[in-house]
Amino acid sequence: MIARAAYAHRWRPSRYWLAALIGGALFAVLVASSVLSIVLDSIPHRASLFGLPAIGLMAAATIFGARAFRGRGATLRGRDLMVAAVLFGLGICSWLLVLDIFTFTQAAGPEVAAVSTLACLPTTAIGLLVVRRLDRNEKEPWRLVLVATAWGAIVATSLVIWAETLWDAQLGARLVPGPALDASSAFSAGIFEELAKGVAVVLLYLTMRDEFDDVIDGIVYGAAVGLGFNLMESIAYMTHLYALYRPEGASLAFAAAAGQWYQRQVLGLFLGHATYTALVGAGVGVARQLRSLPQRLLAIASGFLIAIAGHFAWDAWAQLFPVSPTSPLAVAEVHLRTLVMVGPFTAVVLLLLAQGLRVEGMALARQLELEAEAGQGTVLASEVRVLTSPWRRLGARLAAMARGGPLAYVRLSRLQTAQIHLAMERWHRERQETDLLPAAEEELRRRVRELRAATTSP
Amino acid sequence: MLVLGAAGLLILALGLTVFLRFAPLGQRTGLVAHVVGVYAYDPSRREVWGPPATRFPRTRPFAARVSWASLPSQVVVGATWYDSLQEPTGGVGPAPAGRLAASNGLVPEHAPSGLRGNLPGTYTLLVLRYVGGQPVEILARTTVIVERSP
Repeated sequence: MIARAAYAHRWRPSRYWLAALIGGALFAVLVASSVLSIVLDSIPHRASLFGLPAIGLMAAATIFGARAFRGRGATLRGRDLMVAAVLFGLGICSWLLVLDIFTFTQAAGPEVAAVSTLACLPTTAIGLLVVRRLDRNEKEPWRLVLVATAWGAIVATSLVIWAETLWDAQLGARLVPGPALDASSAFSAGIFEELAKGVAVVLLYLTMRDEFDDVIDGIVYGAAVGLGFNLMESIAYMTHLYALYRPEGASLAFAAAAGQWYQRQVLGLFLGHATYTALVGAGVGVARQLRSLPQRLLAIASGFLIAIAGHFAWDAWAQLFPVSPTSPLAVAEVHLRTLVMVGPFTAVVLLLLAQGLRVEGMALARQLELEAEAGQGTVLASEVRVLTSPWRRLGARLAAMARGGPLAYVRLSRLQTAQIHLAMERWHRERQETDLLPAAEEELRRRVRELRAATTSP
Repeated sequence: MLVLGAAGLLILALGLTVFLRFAPLGQRTGLVAHVVGVYAYDPSRREVWGPPATRFPRTRPFAARVSWASLPSQVVVGATWYDSLQEPTGGVGPAPAGRLAASNGLVPEHAPSGLRGNLPGTYTLLVLRYVGGQPVEILARTTVIVERSP
């Protein structure tokens, strides 16, 4: 809708070109490291064989998926979505061949992999629901949240297989066991995993600007990428440990896998990858609202730095926190360790989120008031108080449902979403941080009026 | 965000300091230890038997034979086995190479307590040089596979 109303603008091509450049560079790095891995013979060739097509297919699926939502007709949109879905499926299959079948689950068996996946999906889904609800005013579309999650699960994990293996082969193999090797592995995990995950947030920032408003959106997308990564990592560790302990008996193997599930899908669901990548997202989100390019780059770099540092600190120094497996306090110690090591970083994310919500809430209230004062018929003065509070919005929708049934609820929900979208657009325009022309705003007003008419009609 | 970025840099700098403290530059001596082979091991008699192998069933103990005599006798060395979870599972030293050469030169691997056998996967033996009680250089490395079968 916004795209239809907008005219060609010199900013738009530049950030799309930048996104394409990053995507191309990413692929070139993968090809280079893949070739290197074959030369060094340190990584199974099957990883190169199936991994690269997986990356290519996921990239192509992302392009078709994004194109489908960028002002295409219904027929073309359907075709693009179908192509994107097929490419996405093929990408997943290729990737599964690399990681699941060959690396871990071959030893554990497909049943164990399936059970592990089924165990991790509900917790990840709960995580996504919570993360998406963090944006109290304007929730991000599920399609983008899920794209971010899929990137974390499939693309980012595939990216780090090569990078971390090469790092270990070149540096790790020369280090003696102990703090130096721990630090080396932690640098590898922190740098490569946060870069691989963070690229997704940067690409969303560059290509989906009208769905990427501020620091809150950055945190939501970042956490979604982290949850996707955590999902695949959990499955990999669960199947790996099950296969390792299976010869000692099914109960011990199950306990090992269940321990991993609890540690990664319950205790570490938010206190882990979700927190680190949310920090990257916060940096990108802050950059979204900064004027000068150096300031934006500095904010993004800061987000990456604190995320890498948080990840590094956990991997390098978590074992310094004493946990004695034989102690009756071991369970409490494991929880305390996670809280002490990752808790401060999660607290920073929550602080940034609270600040972002406060700023966004005040801006929305002001823009809604201005829109109501303009008397355009899009926002009524009596609606401002309702629209600025999630609970009052919900109350209004429930009241509408009581009067007119579920359809009235849905119609009012759409109207409220469009009104908030309009206020956000006004906010960005006032701050001169939108590359859409004023016609986009008028298009949003037209849409609000249409929805209001539908809401009032029987 | 700048404060957070600075905090991140500080943490990473601390990590680099730790790294350099435990992996100081200029520790390469050029010494190379010779691992003669890895053999099936009889813990009760503390002897190896059979030909050298690279794969072992998980219930069969094994040990590496290291030629300690090929190293200068005063150099402090040791050798440790690591399982696929990077956990140490047996070793000898650190001690002067001359003292280790006087023993049978075997580095046995021990199954984790409470388990009926070794965990399957790749086991790595590292022969290390020590300075001040800290390992500083890898002198030799060898790997064997522990199979899933008993």
